[in-house]
Amino acid sequence: MTAILVAEGLHKSYGRHRVLSGTDLSVDRGQLVAVVGENGAGKSTLLKALAGTLKTDAGTVRLSGTLGYCPQEAVLSDNLTVGQHLRYFAAAYRLADLGRGEELMQRLGLAKFRDTSAGALSGGTRQKLNLVLSLLHDPDVLLLDEPYQGFDWETYLRFWDLVGDLRARGKAIVLITHLVFEQDRFDVLADLVDGRLHLRGTTTVATNTPGADDDRL
Amino acid sequence: MTVSDLAAVPSGRSSAPAVRQFGAALRFALRNQTRNRLAALLLVGFVPTWYGLMQAMAGHQQLSFKLFATGRTLTVDGGELTLISAGLNALSLIVGFAVFDAIRRTLAFDRRLVFAGFRQPTLIGAKTLSITVISAAVALYAALVLLGFWRPSPAGWFAILAGYAVIALTYGAFGLLLGVLVKGDLEGFFLIIMGGLMDTFLQNPLGNPLANKPVLQWFPSFGPMQFAVAGSFGHTALWGHLALGLAWAAGFAACGLIVFQIKTRTRRHEPHRGNVSGPVG
Repeated sequence: MTAILVAEGLHKSYGRHRVLSGTDLSVDRGQLVAVVGENGAGKSTLLKALAGTLKTDAGTVRLSGTLGYCPQEAVLSDNLTVGQHLRYFAAAYRLADLGRGEELMQRLGLAKFRDTSAGALSGGTRQKLNLVLSLLHDPDVLLLDEPYQGFDWETYLRFWDLVGDLRARGKAIVLITHLVFEQDRFDVLADLVDGRLHLRGTTTVATNTPGADDDRL
Repeated sequence: MTVSDLAAVPSGRSSAPAVRQFGAALRFALRNQTRNRLAALLLVGFVPTWYGLMQAMAGHQQLSFKLFATGRTLTVDGGELTLISAGLNALSLIVGFAVFDAIRRTLAFDRRLVFAGFRQPTLIGAKTLSITVISAAVALYAALVLLGFWRPSPAGWFAILAGYAVIALTYGAFGLLLGVLVKGDLEGFFLIIMGGLMDTFLQNPLGNPLANKPVLQWFPSFGPMQFAVAGSFGHTALWGHLALGLAWAAGFAACGLIVFQIKTRTRRHEPHRGNVSGPVG
């Protein structure tokens, strides 16, 4: 299978604090990868480096398609309504219509807030909008940084239905999570320790340094 | 897949986005900059109160005001002169505050928009135009309220309006610069308040020993104050001084927009080390 996203030798330090120390990752089409790790392990830094929003000290990222990135904190404009956010980003993505956005709003229960300002939304609803904005252009690769923070149970289940559909259509997804009980949902569980990714529980990811307990992604 | 393939606009996407992007960016920038309730309250309540208070404090003593372009020294009514400087002061605070707040709050959002594919020049153009429109509208409002306190000649009123528009633009641009540089609310507000107070009050000879001294030429409100006073009291149009005020506005705006450009740029389509190649969002 051909990898759609490949990261090799990513290094990133904040001053003397090394966060990424030669991190490698390869993700295929239709693959769902979970990145786990302790607080402060560098998971969000890794996702930002993969997205390109953070300049790394060394390493390369190769992407063969379009990318959607959902940051951990909802980056919204409080004075704009949900509908205005969609129109603004549709213009950014150069979409001819809002069909995909309408579908996503329906699926995540966001449509009833169409005319509500983002500043008046609850934390969970802001997160839904944050997610919809990253999915609006139907990207080939999705990078999601704890995307369901604040979701109610029903929305959480709808989210996983949505992820299932995306995977079925060949979309690759890299997701940061803290929820250990979810691990069966993923093709790959990648533990970020000391700036490197260690494979857990599956063998579907290409590795540079094969080994029983030290499969780096 | 090659880099050129990656850069191509995918099928199903609009092929002529520039006008649509500009329309959206201008509409939403105007909305963001006019949703500041405190600035609106200051506009409605502070401007007339400030005019009334300053006029009452100044009285009607005669003051000497030097026009630096001609070397003439005008003898003017202190109350009327103070109304002009009060208007300049109010505009510097309100427009500076409104633009600073709007720019600072939306900086991360703007970065995300650019990351999603929004053209930076379009976003910058829309922000510049929205600041210009708002500055002009607020200046017009302040000049109209002034008529409730003093009725200069029509030409004099237009000179004051022009001075007001330029100071509003200058502090709008200053607010833009602070909005992209300063992280905290308090720091930005403090800089705008202190800068605006110092700048505009030094231009008024009422109780100011520095008035009519050449050092005043180095402050942003020097040009607009000279133009407004020359037009309303001296029946002279000092276009060079109005241009000097515009130069301050252009300088602040250029610095602010350069920092904005740097802070919102993305690394899309740059197949360099550590960078992503391909459309993102």
